[in-house]
Amino acid sequence: MRYYARKFGFYLVALWAALTLNFFVPRLMPGNPVDVLMAKLAQRGGTVDPAARRAYELLLGADTSEPLFRQYLSYLGNMARGDLGVSVSAFPAPVSQVIADSLPWTLVLVGLATLLSFLLGVVLGAFVGWRRGTWLDGLVPATTVLAAVPYFWLALILVALLASGLGWFPLMGGYDVVLDPGWNADFIGSAAYHGTLPALTIVISSVGGWLLGMRNMMVSTTAEDYVLTAKAKGLKDSRVMIRYAARNAVLPSVAGFAISLGFVVAGSIITEQVFSYPGIGSKLLQAVQNNDYALMQGIFLVITVAVLGANLVVDLLYAVIDPRTRAGG
Amino acid sequence: MTDLGPATVAPPRGRAGWRSMLPRWSPKLGVGLGLIAVIALFGLLGPLFVGDPVTIRDLGLTPPGGEHPLGTTLTGQDVLAQLAHSTRGSLHIGLLVGVLATLLSALFGIVGGYVGGVVDEAFSLFSNVMLVIPGLPLVIVVSAFVPADQRGSWTVAVVLAITGWAASARVLRAQTLSLRTRDYVAAARVAGEKPWRVIAVEVLPNLLPLLASQFVFSVVYAILSEAGLSFLGLGASNSSTLGTMLYYAQNGFALQREAWWWFVPPGLVIALFGCGLALVNFSIDEIINPGLRDIPRRPRAEAVREPAPAARTDDDVVLTVDRLSVVYQVDTPVHAVKDVSLTLRRGEILGLAGESGCGKTTLAYAVDRLHRPPAEITGGSVTFHDRDGEDVDVLALRPEELRAFRWSKLSVVFQGAMNALNPVITVRAQLEDVLITHRPGMSRAARRARCEEVLRLVGVDPRRLGSFPHELSGGMRQRVVIAMALLLDPQVMIMDEPTTALDVVVQRGILREIMRLRDEIGFAVLFITHDLPLLLELADRIAVMKDGEIVEHGPAEQVHREPRHPYTRRLLDSFPSLTGERGAFVRSGEPAPSGGAR
Amino acid sequence: MTTLEARRLVKDFPVRVGLRRVKLRAVDDVSFTLVPGRTVALVGESGSGKSTIARMIARLEKPSGGDIALTAPDGSRVPDRHYRDHVQMVFQDPFASLNPFHTVEHHLARPLKLHGRAAGREETWRQVLRLLERVSLPARDVVHRRPHELSGGQRQRVAIARALAPGAKVVVADEPVSMLDVSIRLGVLNLLARLQREEGLAVLYITHDLATARHFSDDVLVLYKGRVVERGPADDVILNPRHPYTKLLAAAAPNPDARGRALDVDPAEVERAGAAAAYDHTTGRWEDVRTAG
Repeated sequence: MRYYARKFGFYLVALWAALTLNFFVPRLMPGNPVDVLMAKLAQRGGTVDPAARRAYELLLGADTSEPLFRQYLSYLGNMARGDLGVSVSAFPAPVSQVIADSLPWTLVLVGLATLLSFLLGVVLGAFVGWRRGTWLDGLVPATTVLAAVPYFWLALILVALLASGLGWFPLMGGYDVVLDPGWNADFIGSAAYHGTLPALTIVISSVGGWLLGMRNMMVSTTAEDYVLTAKAKGLKDSRVMIRYAARNAVLPSVAGFAISLGFVVAGSIITEQVFSYPGIGSKLLQAVQNNDYALMQGIFLVITVAVLGANLVVDLLYAVIDPRTRAGG
Repeated sequence: MTDLGPATVAPPRGRAGWRSMLPRWSPKLGVGLGLIAVIALFGLLGPLFVGDPVTIRDLGLTPPGGEHPLGTTLTGQDVLAQLAHSTRGSLHIGLLVGVLATLLSALFGIVGGYVGGVVDEAFSLFSNVMLVIPGLPLVIVVSAFVPADQRGSWTVAVVLAITGWAASARVLRAQTLSLRTRDYVAAARVAGEKPWRVIAVEVLPNLLPLLASQFVFSVVYAILSEAGLSFLGLGASNSSTLGTMLYYAQNGFALQREAWWWFVPPGLVIALFGCGLALVNFSIDEIINPGLRDIPRRPRAEAVREPAPAARTDDDVVLTVDRLSVVYQVDTPVHAVKDVSLTLRRGEILGLAGESGCGKTTLAYAVDRLHRPPAEITGGSVTFHDRDGEDVDVLALRPEELRAFRWSKLSVVFQGAMNALNPVITVRAQLEDVLITHRPGMSRAARRARCEEVLRLVGVDPRRLGSFPHELSGGMRQRVVIAMALLLDPQVMIMDEPTTALDVVVQRGILREIMRLRDEIGFAVLFITHDLPLLLELADRIAVMKDGEIVEHGPAEQVHREPRHPYTRRLLDSFPSLTGERGAFVRSGEPAPSGGAR
Repeated sequence: MTTLEARRLVKDFPVRVGLRRVKLRAVDDVSFTLVPGRTVALVGESGSGKSTIARMIARLEKPSGGDIALTAPDGSRVPDRHYRDHVQMVFQDPFASLNPFHTVEHHLARPLKLHGRAAGREETWRQVLRLLERVSLPARDVVHRRPHELSGGQRQRVAIARALAPGAKVVVADEPVSMLDVSIRLGVLNLLARLQREEGLAVLYITHDLATARHFSDDVLVLYKGRVVERGPADDVILNPRHPYTKLLAAAAPNPDARGRALDVDPAEVERAGAAAAYDHTTGRWEDVRTAG
């Protein structure tokens, strides 16, 4: 129980830190984003009513007489209500609506690709580590090249080769635009088809890291006494590898998920941009290009919450697979 | 005292020490350093030799060749010249971030870890929060708020460093926490060193490989992130990097126009530089964890030989080891076990005594063919004489036969009871594993009954079956391991230092248990230890091993009363007797009255 | 002569049980005196508090109660800042107590400089070589080596030389030979004994091994659950144990001269006796730990 309480506590603190960061970053930066925003809004024919201006001021900071702490409390209040302001680039849609439309695309694409890459990396890593001293050792340095390739560059090369060159995959987009989004086979098939290349990019670029981490742990674990005991017990090789060696070696990979998740998310934002994928990463860049500060911050918060949530789930899972965490503090 | 005039004062050799911190040479390291050197030189010196990267010419998108070895861009700029300047820009940012991030992580990781207490808790919470907040989205947001004209390479570097130090800090903290409890840190404190000196002189040097590896990691992170930012148009405005080059290539539709020479080289430089750093990091990792070093390729399979079991000399013998040799096939092969012959009789406890490195554990592993490369059996035979009359040549068993042989005929209790149990699965699962594999037909209830039975045999409450190893005390764990060894009713049990890590009272209890079980069940024990007095009390016969050879072999009484080999005598003398004379131990200055004999 | 007196030492460690913090008493009311030329052995199993006492004497831990008084040869109390000139420690694991990064020279030169025993490079160099010769090591051969280039016994000798470097007269030896191979253990113990004779050291010998405790020390204190349960001259305590726990320890120790004997002490009896009273062989009386001086 202590373990769970501590984890929940930690993620609450992290969430609060992210919210606070989001509050202070615009205030610490030079320039007056509110004016830029209001000008843009007026340009688009939006009415600049005082309430909208106040919402932006809370979000971005302005030279008002209101004490910072009051601004901060009102800001937290707005966040708690899910009020992230109105998007300028997609005016008059509220930021929350823009995010709600694009988030599922990213969740599915990045979520599935990350999971796939993690599983693939762990399984391959376990195998390479277990079969140490065979030709498989040669795979290890090869993965570093993949890990060092910029995501977007790889994505563009893949597009050039597989989409433009061979025509196997569509160039861009999340689905065939002639279809109406909905839960039907045509649409889902089209979405899967469009998602393959972006997913492939994410998997190729991130699998090396998982593979290497798992392989190194596997090498250390194979030297443990309990693995030797398992062999002496006359268990089948596959059983020793999975139940004794890999079962223990995977723990640090799971514990280190947080570190790697950040990289994957970062890479996928740019990947989405390359593929003009209708996800949250493309929206973030669109917001940046249009100085749509409200949308930008909203997306940052949502990405943060998603990453925190994923980490929390992984931490809870960790407690299930490592009985020792449940015992001590 | 010897006269040590100034002439004889030798200047200390300072270099030698650093050598131990340097990575071992390997092809990987060579390739890595080569890549880094070539690219760094290209970035450093290239701009001096190539032309002006911004000169616009009237030959847009010329393919490589002639005057432009890497072709030109859309506006006719020379790609090679751009590449040289961009590489310099990227390296500049990479180094800057590497230094800043390493400093930050060292501050939060090392200082926090060493100081401990509230400072550590606060630092560690801070780094963990920074770690879970996704870096690049934050960088994008921050960059977007900074107007482009104020976004210099320093701004970008600082932002990248601030979002990129946390993972390293966590690694460094964990290592510092472990170093802090080392005895040499305590020894430095006892010597009267000041805290800052303990950190700087005693702790920090041992963190150097880790710091180096984290630094390399930050550089890769920085170059990749900066490339991403620039590609999005959010990079530093005053410098050109590989990222900005890609940005222009993308906006000039380089790929759509099939101008691969414009688009491919910048990405390739990043990938190769990152790859070079990663390869160097491999070698650094091998300093931190020597277990990761490359091992020689395994031979495909050990040559299967024809079974040639040794003949039974008499019905009483259960295991014959005949002229067994084991060699560690390293650069200069080490003969760990030399022509060792032993016989183990049914129901007897044969003690194998020797000091660390004498080959006793290697011998025990080889008997069950548990030795790992580079160890290799080079000669001799191991024969198991089954109760039912069959003689098994263990070294000739095929893999599947060997698997079936293990544990059902011969089980092993390993050194370090603490680690012989898998920490993440229950005691029951580890016991049942054996039955599921060796007795596939056994019912669930029967398996369970058998597990409970063996636990009762060693004096452990069967309710402990549901426990995980960490929930048991050291003595209890060792009992569970012995229970596990009893599961299949083996005829031979090899015990390698089974009680060494335990307190003397617990040890005594377990030894009594082993003797009682031996009397009741009648298995034979090969008992390996460095503790000769313990063997003298426990074993029926004793073999003393030194440098891979058995130097003395005989009944326990005889080894105790009339040791023949000088080494045995020396070992015996090394243990002052509890109640008798003190052996070779000299406390007051005069030698022991009666030499070694007691 | 420098003497060290430990008076009613107590050490509590905070432990978390659930959400509460409770105190775990690791050392409870332990007193003894270390005088020059004599060795006191602290005997006990893991968790008995013996290493905590060593760390308190070496000032690596602060006592929660009681005090440690160090008296200089002239009878005055040694001020705290000079404490470490007089009291040094030899650690259990010579593989861990020497910094793998530094040479033997560094390990000896630092304490010499810190405690003002040598000034200048040449003087320090000579002193380092002299120290290595004191512990019977080939000085010129080992002085530039690093710990991993030395054998276990050689390392422990370097560790002993380091403890002597500040000119210490009180040495705490925490299981100094338990990590060494058996055939070199006595060599190291003999060295310690010789140095003690030659320099008049007061030694606190921490061990779990009754046999070496008996032969190496003058007085033995048996620790059980943080308390002294038996004390007195070495032979008296080991050969004629009075407390059930000491009897149990003696019975459990391997003894080839008594093959096939039964363990004639019931561990339950030890539980019953607990650590409430201690037998003092010098006075020949049972004393309640709480009231003893």
